Amino acid sequence: MRDTTRDGLSRDAAPRVEPALRATRLTKRYGDVVAVDGLTFSLVPGTITGLLGPNGAGKTTTLRLVLGLAAPTSGTAAVFGRPYRLLEEPSRRVGALLESDDFDPGRSGRNHLLALTLAAGLDPARVEEVLALVELTAAADRPVRTYSLGMRQRLGLAGALLGDPELLILDEPANGLDPAGAHWLRAFLRRFAEAGRTVLICSHVLAEVAQSVDSVLILNHGRLVAERHINDLPDARALEALYLEATTEEPA
Amino acid sequence: MIAQLRSELLKQRSTRTSLSLIAWMVGLVVLVVALHVLSLGAADLSRQSNQMKILGLGTAIGALFAALFGALSSTAEFRTGTIRPTLLITPRRTRVIAAKVGASMLAGVGVGVLAAALTAGGEAIGLAARGIDTELTGGDYAQLLAGGAAAAAFFAAIGVGVGAAARNQVAAVVGLCVWLLFVEPLLLGNVPSIGKYAPEASAGAVAGAIQTEIADNLSAPGVGLALLAAYAALAALTGSLLINRRDID
Repeated sequence: MRDTTRDGLSRDAAPRVEPALRATRLTKRYGDVVAVDGLTFSLVPGTITGLLGPNGAGKTTTLRLVLGLAAPTSGTAAVFGRPYRLLEEPSRRVGALLESDDFDPGRSGRNHLLALTLAAGLDPARVEEVLALVELTAAADRPVRTYSLGMRQRLGLAGALLGDPELLILDEPANGLDPAGAHWLRAFLRRFAEAGRTVLICSHVLAEVAQSVDSVLILNHGRLVAERHINDLPDARALEALYLEATTEEPA
Repeated sequence: MIAQLRSELLKQRSTRTSLSLIAWMVGLVVLVVALHVLSLGAADLSRQSNQMKILGLGTAIGALFAALFGALSSTAEFRTGTIRPTLLITPRRTRVIAAKVGASMLAGVGVGVLAAALTAGGEAIGLAARGIDTELTGGDYAQLLAGGAAAAAFFAAIGVGVGAAARNQVAAVVGLCVWLLFVEPLLLGNVPSIGKYAPEASAGAVAGAIQTEIADNLSAPGVGLALLAAYAALAALTGSLLINRRDID
């Protein structure tokens, strides 16, 4: 079989969209417990994907594997074609907000961001930009221990945005945000995706997810049990029905 | 690497941990020197060897606090969770440990000089107050300051490695204190032929300050320096190896 067209160009020369993230048979075992079990999925640039599942379904472990914080037992996770730990300047490619409260309570929000900016080799002026974006400028010199949950969430988001990344990975991003904050976040993520960038959101709040995402991945016991485009799910109730069907144990 | 080092230096000065460690150290040095200068008899105090022993206590306290400084630079990241953003920005973990070693060694130099200067100054004031002549030379003081700084710098690197290996802050701090305050003095007292090669005795050798238990049995300063560098490299490499192999929760 010839692989070229009549004009001599390889068919592969047509621009093919490289997934922002690709997991291939990704597996993580802790002793006898399989936290993530042969997970295969990819994220198309310009889309928002929701990663759903009950507690213990393997969502957070999946994110840790993707972000190079934990090593897979088998399988691979590649962001922009390579393992996260081998990315050059990862903060310019990927921004992540993990669910945990990852701040030194005694350090100010501004210094938290500045320490990350220095390590990433980014322009320190970026700190003021992201602080303004998440509306934390006024509180930036206070130690993080004085911040509310919503403020910490916004500080985490500011950290994820420092490098102006192409892929955002957010674990429960709306947690602690007030309705106005949640509305702002939805609009922000939509603009982000419309600019051709990619978002992966982990969440429990199905109504929130139904309003934000283009497609959903549902995990249960570390396995991918459903994958749908949001157009196939007319409303939040349809998403809930799918979620419950996919994650409810069948009687033995 | 320079980027990570600048980040670590900012982390060091952007919480109160560093200041409170230094405040504790200053208090402890002043207390220990005062107790010795006030409690020893005038005849004992006027002997050069006893004056050197008091300086040795300052070197030991400087080394301990430098080690704690380094250990907290590693364990604070695990305790607060900042290890996750740190490693997301710099996924090559060896670079993070190397930057922590660099930043902590710089801080260690300051800690070591401060401890040595305070000890020497406190002792001189106490001796003058009791009307006892100082038997120490300019060379003794120079070695104390330079050696105290070098020893504390290496102890800071040891702390970073121990902290990265232990991850748990309480375990790392208790481990370092138990080793430096109990195990090593026991070793020096009971098996000085081995104990003199241990880290704290090496620090004493470098600074020329006599450790109480082995007045006549110190290594040469150069040997002490080489041993300390080896301990620091071993600890930093072990910490680096473990942080690279382990998953971050």
